[in-house]
Amino acid sequence: MVQFVLPRNSRVKPGKSHKAPAGAKNVKEFHIYRYDPDEKKNPTLDIFEVDLDEIGPMVLDALLKIKDDIDPTLTFRRSCREGICGSCAMCIDGINTLACLKPIADVKGPVKIYPLPHLEVIKDLVCDLDHLYAQYASIEPWMKTKTPMPKQERLQSPEEREKLDGLWECVLCFCCATSCPSYWWNGHRYLGPSILLQAARWVMDTRDEGQGERLDDLEDPFKLYRCHTILNCVKACPRGLNPAKAIADLKVLMMERIL
Amino acid sequence: MTLLEERINRGGPVSPHLQVYDMFKLTSFLSIIHRVFGAGLLVGTLLFTYWIASAAAGPQAYDCAMNFLGSWFGYLLVFGWSFALFYHMCNGVRHMLWDTGRMLALKDIYQSGYVMVACASGLTVVAWVLGLSL
Repeated sequence: MVQFVLPRNSRVKPGKSHKAPAGAKNVKEFHIYRYDPDEKKNPTLDIFEVDLDEIGPMVLDALLKIKDDIDPTLTFRRSCREGICGSCAMCIDGINTLACLKPIADVKGPVKIYPLPHLEVIKDLVCDLDHLYAQYASIEPWMKTKTPMPKQERLQSPEEREKLDGLWECVLCFCCATSCPSYWWNGHRYLGPSILLQAARWVMDTRDEGQGERLDDLEDPFKLYRCHTILNCVKACPRGLNPAKAIADLKVLMMERIL
Repeated sequence: MTLLEERINRGGPVSPHLQVYDMFKLTSFLSIIHRVFGAGLLVGTLLFTYWIASAAAGPQAYDCAMNFLGSWFGYLLVFGWSFALFYHMCNGVRHMLWDTGRMLALKDIYQSGYVMVACASGLTVVAWVLGLSL
């Protein structure tokens, strides 16, 4: 269902303000969403002033600086710091992206950092991704074969392999899924751009022999057809992939097998 | 507490969505306008029905309707309706292209967006110039 306002317990209140140390010259404000599950209070927006001369260029560098030197309770996921793991996905300056790939210099004014939109918050910038992982499992993201196992590998020509380009690179950060208003309102049944891109990854794989069942499973008013080409997903993907194209290709395959 | 119980009792807040997401990027903005205009077309259709019905109801009712539609507010409504109609038509073509899997690269989405708005504006102007000169 469409929700325009947040439930009462989710409304963001003003929070604490942490000033930069005296003598700092290149100061930038970071407005960060905070929620402490032990306090049973509404989330707040804390303000941190960080000296950019002391840190690296990316938003993740600022978050690490804040955690190390200003407030160690600040909670967020991170791992590889180079856009490979997909852990540090969050909403920065109004667009979902990976904090490790987002240059601070790209943001004019204060850097506003929120968790991925319309998910249940566990703590600060960490959201519950269980539902997304369950949806991922539901598309059975593994090779399905019926023909007997060959003596060697299942072969694929370079042209056939090319069909997977733009699909295999996804790191499941869910920036696209949580940028999609349709996924916000119908996420319980609509699979959303990230999972549909993964579905396309298996449907397009010429070695996979489960294409028919996979498409049968997507033939549903919600799972696939809640994509209304709003295209926030294309804009958000930090790895430059195109979930909208993957979804359109799936819809075309659906049509082709009926006609 | 087990992990499962902890999860059930957690009841954390919903993270902000519309409140913080930048919906003014061309991609989502044109999509929102499409929906708003879709609702607006319903109002325009009612207006059109009123006009037709007034013509059927006799000269007095028709004069009354023309008085209202000929006022500046009436012009504004009809102008808005015509633009919404052309916008919906041009964006509909864009949606149809997308449904064939074409024009979905970010560059094409932006280009076709600008072209679509230009076409809708152009058609509206042409329709009004023709309409007023006849």
